[in-house]
Amino acid sequence: MEEQLVECDVLCIGGGIAGMMAAIRAAEKGASVVVAEKGNARYSGCGRSGNDHFETYIPEIHGSDKEDFIDELLYTAKGEILIGRDILRAQFAKAQDVVELWDEWGIPMQPSGSWEFAGHAFPGRTLTHIKYEGRLQKTVLVRQARKAGAKIMNRIMAMELLRSGDRVIGALGVHTREDKIVVFKAKAVILGTGKCSRLYQGLTPGTMFNDGHGGVQTGDGRAMAYRAGAELMNVEMPQRHIGPKYFAKFGQATWVGVLRDAEGNAVGPFVSEPDRRYGDIIMEVNKLSPEQYGALGKGPVYMDCTGMSDEDAAYMKHWHIHEGNIGLVDHMEAEGVDPQKHPIEFSTYPLRGGGLIVANEKAETSLRGLYAAGDEAMGDISAAATFGWISGDSAADFVGTVEEGNVEQCRATIDSLKATIDQLRGREYGPDWEEANLALQQVMTDYAGTVRNEAVLLQGLSHLKRLKEKANTEMMARNQHELGRCLEVNNLLDVGELVFQTALDRKETRGLHNRPDYPFTNPLLNRAHVVHRDGDEAVMGWRKY
Amino acid sequence: MPPIIDPKLCIACDRCVNICTEDVFYGSTKNEIPEVTYPRECVHFNGCVDACPVPGAIWLRVPMSSMVVYRESPEYAKPQGDPHTRSLPD
Repeated sequence: MEEQLVECDVLCIGGGIAGMMAAIRAAEKGASVVVAEKGNARYSGCGRSGNDHFETYIPEIHGSDKEDFIDELLYTAKGEILIGRDILRAQFAKAQDVVELWDEWGIPMQPSGSWEFAGHAFPGRTLTHIKYEGRLQKTVLVRQARKAGAKIMNRIMAMELLRSGDRVIGALGVHTREDKIVVFKAKAVILGTGKCSRLYQGLTPGTMFNDGHGGVQTGDGRAMAYRAGAELMNVEMPQRHIGPKYFAKFGQATWVGVLRDAEGNAVGPFVSEPDRRYGDIIMEVNKLSPEQYGALGKGPVYMDCTGMSDEDAAYMKHWHIHEGNIGLVDHMEAEGVDPQKHPIEFSTYPLRGGGLIVANEKAETSLRGLYAAGDEAMGDISAAATFGWISGDSAADFVGTVEEGNVEQCRATIDSLKATIDQLRGREYGPDWEEANLALQQVMTDYAGTVRNEAVLLQGLSHLKRLKEKANTEMMARNQHELGRCLEVNNLLDVGELVFQTALDRKETRGLHNRPDYPFTNPLLNRAHVVHRDGDEAVMGWRKY
Repeated sequence: MPPIIDPKLCIACDRCVNICTEDVFYGSTKNEIPEVTYPRECVHFNGCVDACPVPGAIWLRVPMSSMVVYRESPEYAKPQGDPHTRSLPD
């Protein structure tokens, strides 16, 4: 297999919102920048097909006390992302600058001519998200990154970080179309590989790509950061979403309707009629309500937009398209589903998880020269854009302070990846990636799912280890595309194992980490549950956010 | 959620092949009508449809397992009478 050496100051792994913003900022500051993207940066990441809401703090609108604004977000959109308040302060010191940059670059952030705030809010309280037309945001950001001088390498899946002492000096990538690996020599590396899909069974078990975040965000950054010794946190804490049943698409604040039960009663107390400014915040207060209603024999639960005006219907469709839900809009139109006439069933979506890479308000991780941003570290589009920018800023400053590393010192890591690739490509029979991935999803859902106890977690962990061994020795890839999928499964297996280990260590019930053997939430554990690798051991602890 | 290509309209420009992050057209021959080699990996984000310069040359078919569930009538059937007996036959 061919081995290509690519040298740069800053390597951005993942070309989503965070990665592109990091690339733009670092390049603007004079660094030579390469983006390694495993798909096509023009259409990759959670923001690939759009977004319609962006949280931002504007002192003239929200008042000078940023803390109130942060409180409001913790009640709603930020509630499920467990991060420190310092991080939020750093985000909202910068978010509005980013909004204005996006507007300048050609993403319409105030299409009506002024800031329009709506969604993700309780009626009568502070509005935190502006509506913006994000359908072409990735096109704009890719164009801007190229203009700033960043080089984008598509179809390169980064798989391992290269480390020298306490510093990250580069990374290894695998081409997903050609028989080639790329050795990146970089003074700083920024991880922006997004969420962790395909770890748990999806909305349609067996159809792994029916996922609102896309199907290829497989925890690659978390896995490679952990393997390199960086600290992760709250890996065991699951998240869930809510949306149209069977068609996994998000945009809970884009719907102009009321969540109602089968008899027409509103599920939540916040709205009683469709309201374009507020939507129905009950979906963020309790994403489990469709599932709970089902269990109580009170289901189904519907998103009821009936009774809304034609203007509101046109407004909602417009924003669904910008939110990236054009596939859903097309589908409903093709099937004759009219939100003005038909209540649409909503469901609680399956578990997702994988935690976050620990990063501070400068986007620095626990390893020198390694930064993280986006869903990898802070979640949501405003945070991705803002911390993407901050990480690019920090990384560009860092490269001026260090000498370039010697990647030849990492020859053992390079040869090990090559051997793994040769084995996966060389086998003539064995489980393919899909079979291995389904086996993993099954054990995650059954043993690290909605209810956990020590015996179940231990059983699941031992089974997962057997699966991992089986995948290591028998999994096969028929071509480079399937090789990429196999490597994704390897990352998911690593993250899955960590979920079990950290779930065993969190001896309490909190949020969706439900442990009947430890039924109470322990206030002494209002802290970040951190884990890093030392040799083959997962070393865990608790730290103040 | 597989893309469907109309071979009569497709001009084999490869834009769909290039844009797809999931690479469902993997292995397609350059400047020939693309093959949908990994249809199960389509995530229905419309990248290929957006990239296509010929209206109607490519579209996405939503699989049966992803069809949205909805209620025909907007009228909610309010329960009548005693909820413990209302479903019993006369």
